[in-house]
Amino acid sequence: MSNHDTHDHAEHHGDPIAEIKKVTIILSVLTIIELILGFWMIGITGESMRLAIKGVIVILMMAKAFYIVAYFMHLKHELKNLIMTIVVPLLLFVWFITAFLSDGGSYKNLRNNYDPHFKAQSTIKVEKKEHGEAAEGEHEAKEGEKEAKPAETK
Amino acid sequence: MSHEAALHAHESHGHDDHGHHEHHDTFLTKYVFSQDHKMIAKQFLITGMVWAVLGGLMSVLFRLQLGYPEASFPWLESILGKWAKGGQITPEAYYALVTTHGTVLVFFVLTAGLSGTFANFLIPLQIGARDMASPFMNMLSYWFFFAASIVMLSSMFVETGPFSGGWTAYPPLSALGDASPGSKTGMDLWIIAMALFVVSSLLGGLNYIATILNMRTKGMSMTRLPLTIWALFFTAVLGVLSFPVLLSGFILLIFDRNFGTSFYLSDIYVNGVGALSNEGGSAILFQHLFWFLGHPEVYIILLPAMGMVSEIMSVNSRKPIFGYMAMLGSLFAIAVLAFLVWAHHMFVTGLNPFLGSVFVLLTLLIAVPSAIKVFNWLTTLWRGNIRFTPAMLFAIGFVSLFISGGLTGIWLGNAALDIHLHDSYFVIAHFHIVMGVASMFGMFAGVYHWFPKMYGRYLNNSLGYMHFWVTLAGAYLIFWPMHYEGLAGMPRRYYDFSIWESFKQFAELNRFISTVAMIVFAVQILFLLNFFYSIFKGRKVTTLNPWQANTLEWTTPINPGHGNWPGEIPEVHRWPYDYGKDGVDFTPQTTPVGEHESSH
Amino acid sequence: MSTTTTASTKEVKWWGGGKSPFNVEYGKVMMWYFLMSDAFTFGAFLIAYGTVRFSTNGWPNPNEVFKSYPFASEGVNAPLVFVSIMTFILIISSVTMVLAVHAGKMMDKKGVVRNMILTIIGGIAFLSCQAWEWNHLHHEGAWWGMNPFLNADGTQSSTNFTNFFFTITGFHGFHVFSGVVINIIMLIMTLLDKFEQRGHYLMIEKAGLYWHFVDLVWVFVFTCFYLL
Repeated sequence: MSNHDTHDHAEHHGDPIAEIKKVTIILSVLTIIELILGFWMIGITGESMRLAIKGVIVILMMAKAFYIVAYFMHLKHELKNLIMTIVVPLLLFVWFITAFLSDGGSYKNLRNNYDPHFKAQSTIKVEKKEHGEAAEGEHEAKEGEKEAKPAETK
Repeated sequence: MSHEAALHAHESHGHDDHGHHEHHDTFLTKYVFSQDHKMIAKQFLITGMVWAVLGGLMSVLFRLQLGYPEASFPWLESILGKWAKGGQITPEAYYALVTTHGTVLVFFVLTAGLSGTFANFLIPLQIGARDMASPFMNMLSYWFFFAASIVMLSSMFVETGPFSGGWTAYPPLSALGDASPGSKTGMDLWIIAMALFVVSSLLGGLNYIATILNMRTKGMSMTRLPLTIWALFFTAVLGVLSFPVLLSGFILLIFDRNFGTSFYLSDIYVNGVGALSNEGGSAILFQHLFWFLGHPEVYIILLPAMGMVSEIMSVNSRKPIFGYMAMLGSLFAIAVLAFLVWAHHMFVTGLNPFLGSVFVLLTLLIAVPSAIKVFNWLTTLWRGNIRFTPAMLFAIGFVSLFISGGLTGIWLGNAALDIHLHDSYFVIAHFHIVMGVASMFGMFAGVYHWFPKMYGRYLNNSLGYMHFWVTLAGAYLIFWPMHYEGLAGMPRRYYDFSIWESFKQFAELNRFISTVAMIVFAVQILFLLNFFYSIFKGRKVTTLNPWQANTLEWTTPINPGHGNWPGEIPEVHRWPYDYGKDGVDFTPQTTPVGEHESSH
Repeated sequence: MSTTTTASTKEVKWWGGGKSPFNVEYGKVMMWYFLMSDAFTFGAFLIAYGTVRFSTNGWPNPNEVFKSYPFASEGVNAPLVFVSIMTFILIISSVTMVLAVHAGKMMDKKGVVRNMILTIIGGIAFLSCQAWEWNHLHHEGAWWGMNPFLNADGTQSSTNFTNFFFTITGFHGFHVFSGVVINIIMLIMTLLDKFEQRGHYLMIEKAGLYWHFVDLVWVFVFTCFYLL
């Protein structure tokens, strides 16, 4: 099994420690941006603006995933053969996600159109409590528990 | 020590290991907890055969009910007890039989029995490796399968019977314990068995992939691999990527069953109980998750048969396989498309119709690579010097069945036609022909062809011919009429058709189908007798290469030990299909390329 | 498919047989493909979660659910604070794992031991955080089949919010747990000089792959449950 003509590809890239430091900083910065966006989103009610922020967060998530897989899991420094056999099958996720989510959306429309019980359920507002008040929050939780209890006994 | 040196030190160390194994084998390590891929293959094969007999017997029992709905068979009661009160199979027993027949045949026989056997047996032998990459994991893979078998078997003996909601295990029948008798303990055991099975197939699949990629002998480039190996490779990839999704689906199902969640339960109203409090989920979600495995599973079953048929056809027509690269490309295309078409099983479940039409398009695309394969098989036969061994006959039978069953697939792949045809006997006919019987034929072809390598003896040819002709005729006689029944609207999974005026006309036909089914089952027993008799008493193989084939497994000794080749592993110099090249009948892969040889 | 023969880099015929086309031992190939199949397990969970969310009219606002942290006063409203701590713990433990793998390559036993211990501590810290959060939510009345939280628009929420949350974070936690167990085994093997005798630390690399995968999954879980 020995072959002498292979070269040491693994050690080709520069100082590994420097690279680890760089990637750590990038991951931290990306996470902090995500968190800032998350905090910012709390105050926003506009649906399209929220969607746009969520889109940015998903892109940042993919970037983080890339850095973890490429540098921490060392995939970027493997042979191209290995990279391709890992990345190509993951493309299946594109259709996996598209089909599932779009059918989920379609199921929502079906239920809203043809399932009066479902429709009614999702429009009745439960009496909402003020946030931030400890006692009230506790009470709300208790109530939820009470509501859920009968489900258990059945 | 650099990483590089470590890598090779590690690999060569592993190989030395294999060489020494055969010296200290006890009965237990040789036959039971064997790590030899050939022994593991035989274990898979024989366990698969046990399941095939059980599953076949179940089909005979429920065909008895369908063929003779009014008759009473007292002997049935003595076997099945309360499940056949008064000599008639009860509806509960009928559904349990149908469900278990499906589960067992699809997963235990045609997945584990087929690719478990031949991937284990052929991969190291045909790529030139001492054993699998990890023989230990390979052994674990079999024992997980064995455990799954035991659990599945035990589910048939619980008080309330085995699961009876269909092999697809759709909720709510599978999610609510009170939905049917088999939905309680029977379903618990069913899920456990299937979870063990998923682990087994993952352990096996990872091993097959790593072995094919990493352990090929010198000169065995990917385009010199026999098509069997390519097919088994894609099969393993399909399994590794799709079984986990089934596992996730089952985990959610377990939560629905035991922990009061409602992933798959929407609004359900139960008679006498009222509305269930778990709501808000979606039963369609389970179907999506199930068929995300379920459709690739069809190809997990079919691809190994395709690969073996290609190999057997080329050997027995004494001609190179026609269009090797086209065969590879179509295998690849089928493997990719297998992941994109799952929802064509769900056209009438409330699937988004627009999404459905996308799935129709993707589904019909499969016809292209399938047609390529069929044409290549036929052109391989064309003007060949054909030897009609039983293996070859089964291979040709496979092509015939694949065409017949594949064509009805084009009907069913259309969402509009499917509204009429879904869940009818037309569907039963389609999938039994195209994946059930066809893959069975591939498996038989493989067994007849590689039996001499497995046991050093031949199977009896006359019995083989009888086995082939009765099975082929039987397959068509059983399933062809079902197309007409299905077109006439006869639904599947019904216990008794005699109470409907419109289906009374089929009583005669149903009886005929049941009779043929029994005859075909009896002939399979003949095959079993042939198999076990020949292991011990069959004609001995006296030559290394009884079929004059090119592939590497025929360069091993007649009864290869653990490690396969006593000396060095041979080096490969050419592709495996040099039959009739430059006037030479066959040129094994180990023959160096001559100076004046023409290039193919 | 013709690329299989031509996909060689430089003059080396990677696919020619007799060697690994990836220049890695089979164990690493298996680990990579195992992680790929595990990615489909988690993918299926998260996609199922997405599907149910897409098929439901309302959904609770994560900022109103995950707003507390240990030792906080009762009515604290600090969304995202605790989970960002958890995220950083996991990222840092991933960094120490990379350092352990790197030390292994340099055959630096002391470095491996030090970084493995740090990684294990990080893993246990993450698990403890998760245990606290589960416990806290359970006290608020959330569990499988029980959802005390209302939708963002004030309507009654289905139990699927908590169902998916506990199932998926639980499955991830189970992976973290098994990762910690694997890392402890690796640490013991290092201390017993197993890898020194073998002449390589390839096992640490494979354990590292698994550990980074756990971190990778958390990136997705964190985004899907706490941010979106």
